Amino acid sequence: MIKVEDLNVRLGHRNVLKDINVEIEDGKWTCLVGPNGAGKTTFLKALLGSQPYSGSICDSGVEVFRNHDRNVAFVPQHPQIPIGMSVSEYVMLGRSKRDGWGNESNKSRNLVADILGLTGLFGMQNQYVSQLSGGEMQRALIARALVQEPTLILLDEPTSALDLHHQIAVLNNIELLKERGVTIVSTMHDITLAAMYAEKIVVMQEGKVLLHGTSEFVIHSPELKAAFENRINVFTLESGRPVIVAKKDLGN
Amino acid sequence: MKTQNSNSGLSPIWNWKITALSFALLFVVGILAISFGPVSLNFVKIIRTLFGLPDGLTGQDRTLLIDLRLPRALLAALVGAALATSGAVYQTVFRNPLADPYLLGAAAGAGLGATIAITSAGADLYSLLPIFSFFGAILAVLTSFFISGKFFAEPNSLLLSGIAVGSFATAVQTYLQQRNSSSLRPVYSWILGELTVANWQIVTWSSIYILIALVILITVSKQLDGLMLTDEEAYSLGINPNKLRVIAVVAATLATATAVSASGLIGFVGIVVPHLVRGITHRVTNRGLLTIALVGASFLVLADLGARTLLSPAELPIGVITAFVGAPFFLVVLRKKRLVTQ
Repeated sequence: MIKVEDLNVRLGHRNVLKDINVEIEDGKWTCLVGPNGAGKTTFLKALLGSQPYSGSICDSGVEVFRNHDRNVAFVPQHPQIPIGMSVSEYVMLGRSKRDGWGNESNKSRNLVADILGLTGLFGMQNQYVSQLSGGEMQRALIARALVQEPTLILLDEPTSALDLHHQIAVLNNIELLKERGVTIVSTMHDITLAAMYAEKIVVMQEGKVLLHGTSEFVIHSPELKAAFENRINVFTLESGRPVIVAKKDLGN
Repeated sequence: MKTQNSNSGLSPIWNWKITALSFALLFVVGILAISFGPVSLNFVKIIRTLFGLPDGLTGQDRTLLIDLRLPRALLAALVGAALATSGAVYQTVFRNPLADPYLLGAAAGAGLGATIAITSAGADLYSLLPIFSFFGAILAVLTSFFISGKFFAEPNSLLLSGIAVGSFATAVQTYLQQRNSSSLRPVYSWILGELTVANWQIVTWSSIYILIALVILITVSKQLDGLMLTDEEAYSLGINPNKLRVIAVVAATLATATAVSASGLIGFVGIVVPHLVRGITHRVTNRGLLTIALVGASFLVLADLGARTLLSPAELPIGVITAFVGAPFFLVVLRKKRLVTQ
């Protein structure tokens, strides 16, 4: 359980996160949604422990800031792509924390080979990561997170800039992590997909948490529309699955 | 290793046989360099002399080996290793394949320091040239750090302030040269790099700084791969990216400043050698840093041999050789491996 209490983050003169209080359950997928600039990415960085903050973020009772004892995987929205690095080298970086940098074990090599197969990247292991398509790169990032065998994975917009087919492929890969008992926290701009995959949704606006709860509760809550200034419509399909679409009169 | 490969089907990230080969290369190139010159020395006698065995070189030949060729080859090896390693480290830290060791103003700062030493009328500061250029380089880099301010958050701001400080120092240097036209030639010669001044005193003090810097860089080399990722990814893999960047840049700058003050500005080594090693091995990992250092050392020892012998008894500036050989070779590697564009 990650307990976030009175979390505030200041960047320069701006309060990016304001008095956030939420609890993130172990082994569940929690999704942060909200308009651009709501503070979702900063929240992820605070959960990682690399972003200075005031208040408290306790992961299993331990404060997370600069706590390197945790094993947390981070998948950025805009990864830095190392020029000339092969896919297998890139994925192997995920073992660095467990094995020590540059000392990958035999077990790690086999695990990397397995995960490359599981994420559909085997056969591409000797290609440069810079040659991968957007969807393949995203899968390489998830593969690296999988070999890290983390207790928590933080994903910043894992499906942005992907077509629908690749979005589903990547989200299914993330579900592999959940099957292994990993706690997942992601940001996602597509609320329909968030509702499909995440158990919990946290709605953010201007650095604050507007509401949080189970996906079903949040999707049908009027505060969700308020967070997007009533510019979204929520429909329910015959199957009971909710669909969230932007209103056509955006900007009026 | 073979069993591991066949189990996982993954090729090893670094093959240490390449490092062993580069050690052998440096040894062979080193022996060649001290054997050849206007006067050729007997290869067997050189080995006997170096290992203190009887029937070694005597008289003038011994003096030529011990007092001239050996310190010169050692200085070339030290400077080559320093420049190649610093170049590779800067390229990783600044995530820029075209970064070179002189990027943060070290070259221009050293150039200004050397120009002050050469042009100072009245006082004989020429013997203090290495000290002036060393502090010139350090001062320029420190100024870049100070101006950038945001170094810890944004490596590119340090890079830009390095360019600004470098331009300023070059402008002052040009002004001083114009005011003292008699100093144009020695300054120009220094800018092209020279190892003719090599003696045991220079080898001793430069080896202390360069070896300290290289030991630090090779110790952290495996972790440097983490700096190829975003800071958050590096942090999640157990690295403190800011701390590692500072250690890497300070050590690389110490090596560069020492190299430049001992031998002037020798270009191209810092870009050509790292890319050459990466191109041949198909690996960008910094586990290859020791190999890059050894190949850099061999490259400069060989370049100095060329500088001494091609127009013998006259000497070419070593910077001319490194650029003349390095530039086309670099372009071939670049085109074949498409390292930068891929």
